[in-house]
Amino acid sequence: MPAQKITIEYNDRVVRQFLLASVFWGAVGMLVGLLVASQLNFWQLNFHTAWLTFGRLRPLHTNAVIFAFVGNMMFAGIYYSTQRLVKARLASDFLSSLHFWGWQLIIVAAAITLPLGYTRGKEYAELIWPINLAVAFIWVVFAVNFFWTLARRRERALYVAIWFYIATIVTVAMLYIVNHLSIPTGLLHSYPVFSGVQDALVQWWYGHNAVAFFLTTPILGIMYYFLPKAAERPIYSYRLSVVHFWSLVFVYIWAGPHHLLNTTLPSWLQNLGTTFSLMLWAPSWGGMLNGLLTLRGAWDKLRTDPVLKFFAAGITFYGMATFEGPLLSIRSVNALAHYSDWIIGHVHAGTLGWNGFMAAGMIYWLLPRLWNRPLHSLGLANLHFWIGLVGILLYVSAMWTSGITQGLMLNATTEHGTVLAYPNFLDTLTTIRPMMLMRVIGGALYLIGWFLLVYNLYRTVRGASPVNGTIEVYDETPEPAPAESRLGLKGTLFNAPTVFAVLILVCATTWMLGPDLLSTAGLAGLIVCVILVYALIPTHSHLWNGWYEKLLLNALPFTLLTFFAVVAGGLIQIIPTVLVQKAQNVEDRIQIPYTPLELAGRDLYVREGCYNCHSQMIRTLVPDVLRYGDYSRLGESIYDHPFQWGSKRTGPDLARVGGKYPNIWHLRHMENPRSISPGSNMPTYPWLLTNSLDASVMPAKIKVQRMLGVPYGPLSAQQIFDTMDEQAKGIAKDLRAAGAYVAPDKEIVALIAYLQTLGKFVPVPPKTATP
Amino acid sequence: MFKRLILEDSATLYVIFAFVTAATIFITITWRALRMPRAQVERFAQLPFTKDSSDRHHDV
Repeated sequence: MPAQKITIEYNDRVVRQFLLASVFWGAVGMLVGLLVASQLNFWQLNFHTAWLTFGRLRPLHTNAVIFAFVGNMMFAGIYYSTQRLVKARLASDFLSSLHFWGWQLIIVAAAITLPLGYTRGKEYAELIWPINLAVAFIWVVFAVNFFWTLARRRERALYVAIWFYIATIVTVAMLYIVNHLSIPTGLLHSYPVFSGVQDALVQWWYGHNAVAFFLTTPILGIMYYFLPKAAERPIYSYRLSVVHFWSLVFVYIWAGPHHLLNTTLPSWLQNLGTTFSLMLWAPSWGGMLNGLLTLRGAWDKLRTDPVLKFFAAGITFYGMATFEGPLLSIRSVNALAHYSDWIIGHVHAGTLGWNGFMAAGMIYWLLPRLWNRPLHSLGLANLHFWIGLVGILLYVSAMWTSGITQGLMLNATTEHGTVLAYPNFLDTLTTIRPMMLMRVIGGALYLIGWFLLVYNLYRTVRGASPVNGTIEVYDETPEPAPAESRLGLKGTLFNAPTVFAVLILVCATTWMLGPDLLSTAGLAGLIVCVILVYALIPTHSHLWNGWYEKLLLNALPFTLLTFFAVVAGGLIQIIPTVLVQKAQNVEDRIQIPYTPLELAGRDLYVREGCYNCHSQMIRTLVPDVLRYGDYSRLGESIYDHPFQWGSKRTGPDLARVGGKYPNIWHLRHMENPRSISPGSNMPTYPWLLTNSLDASVMPAKIKVQRMLGVPYGPLSAQQIFDTMDEQAKGIAKDLRAAGAYVAPDKEIVALIAYLQTLGKFVPVPPKTATP
Repeated sequence: MFKRLILEDSATLYVIFAFVTAATIFITITWRALRMPRAQVERFAQLPFTKDSSDRHHDV
């Protein structure tokens, strides 16, 4: 009997839910961004209130725009396009709903905990461990729903957008889990398992690739689906999209160390980060050109079509940001730009231009289709575009100017490089204030544009009936794939391309890491493998090509190999660092473990988000050393769980602030920074002088630190309390002698104890160092 | 085990090796993509254009 036609109704309900959530959280995230940008200009906007200070709200801003705004937009785009590309409804309505509501609960939990100061103290990874578990669980729900849908697909070929989605799912899972490995000390607090340089490397492997695989690859998938639909013509070059995918996925994962240039990170890792960052130019620009050239012959539509306007500008910003990224990864450029507003400008060119404009284009394209009603106002959408564009340009140019100015001033020297030209850090802050204000204006314009979208959306969907897309397909049991096109586990792994790839990697690793004889054998094996590959190409290339063709039709093997491609870059960086960079191998200097009171103070430093404005890493650069003291050594943060090297210097570096000023200086500075540093934009911290320190949690924290390898002796709880009390009384006595009465149990005392120990170390004689 | 990688100047070689490996993958994929049959390329490129009911809804 001939197969009958049936109608499949797509699950567009969840697409609508994610779309609306993205619009809402986008507005919230940008509003918080505007507030924190304003706080840098007007310190009074911190309102002397703990949960409204810059240090606590800035993580809320970054988490909201990354995970709430772009995350929800990404899920909407992935679910809408995947169903249509594979001609199948999402596998499970329950999992789709669980995914949506679970993700929103996570966002709400983040919005509550971050302002309250519950944080892990690592950028874009601030959420506390119970929320981390929830994120991992919901991500698994998303993955199951996605791959289950692929398994039920009626279209066997996997379009390139699906490839990008697959890479996103597997890579984000890997990055998130590794960077969030922690040991809880209580219900709301944990210490990361990595410390110092290990933690820095893992963090920026995660941080860089969060940009790559959360803010880039899914949006590229969305570009490859929605841009051809909007332009009504296929992608310019499908071939180029294949090159774009594989080269991007393979190269991106290696580039993380470029966030740590000129630091104590081993130089081979810094070189690796720079090299791979420069290589990223090729795939990124290939993708950008592929997107823009898709509009060939349709450029005239841009005059009237806001969707194409947003897409074209978004892709252009992608190209601009991905040109700038490798540029900033060149060590000498990085010496100028790192820790400055230039990086903020770079990031926002990507987020406002690429993510925000791609989101807006997708939303304007989807609205009429999801609610079966024309967009309320094309004019408003066009106005949104122009206001948003002017906003971005103001924002980015202000930050470029500010960053380069700040970098030049902080690095400027006189007297043949022996004296700083601007020794007072505040001179640079005063100089860049007009640019910081222009940033607020640019951001406000962008937000106004977003509110226009919100209004347009409201007027479009008000009174409209949501509609789910349908498609007619033949009701036939999907025939099993022909045996010759199937790829089982054996076919995936045990074939010439995979075997040669693994052999080459093994030989190369042996050459690099093995002792002399084994190293030579590795090099010989490597040469033999390469010769064999070239020798076999003429006779076996058709078989290898056939294997690759099969891969494009088999989702799980494809996923497996994509995972191998991304995991290789991570392992090669992380394994040597984690195994070697330990306290027992440190040369030159080693950190003195914190006393219990200092550790409590450090946790307060993390709670207040001080790392958002202050670094603890004096780079191997003359101006850094002249300004802050001897350059930081690898061993000097070896016990820091988490590391606090920072990525921005709105205020000066604190790596060697210990002992630089008396205790009373710190007290007055935290109480009112402007009484000590006129012109400072630092918030006040009056609650530190009134809040009592919760010492009862310290035994559990010390226990976890000991588990993580910090050399604390066998201290009983009472001994810990006694030690803290003794040190606190000493500081309180010193403060009283200087004219300030503070009870020893106040939080400020612990924070002062911590700040005064920064930069303290024990020399390690060379003879005891283990190479 | 990692002594050579961490401490010796020859570690620069490994960055070059990593570059050559990535460049090889890049060239191989490019070569493979260029040799994709035209019919296959066109079929893949047309996948987003399967019509469903939402395509009949109002355009912007």
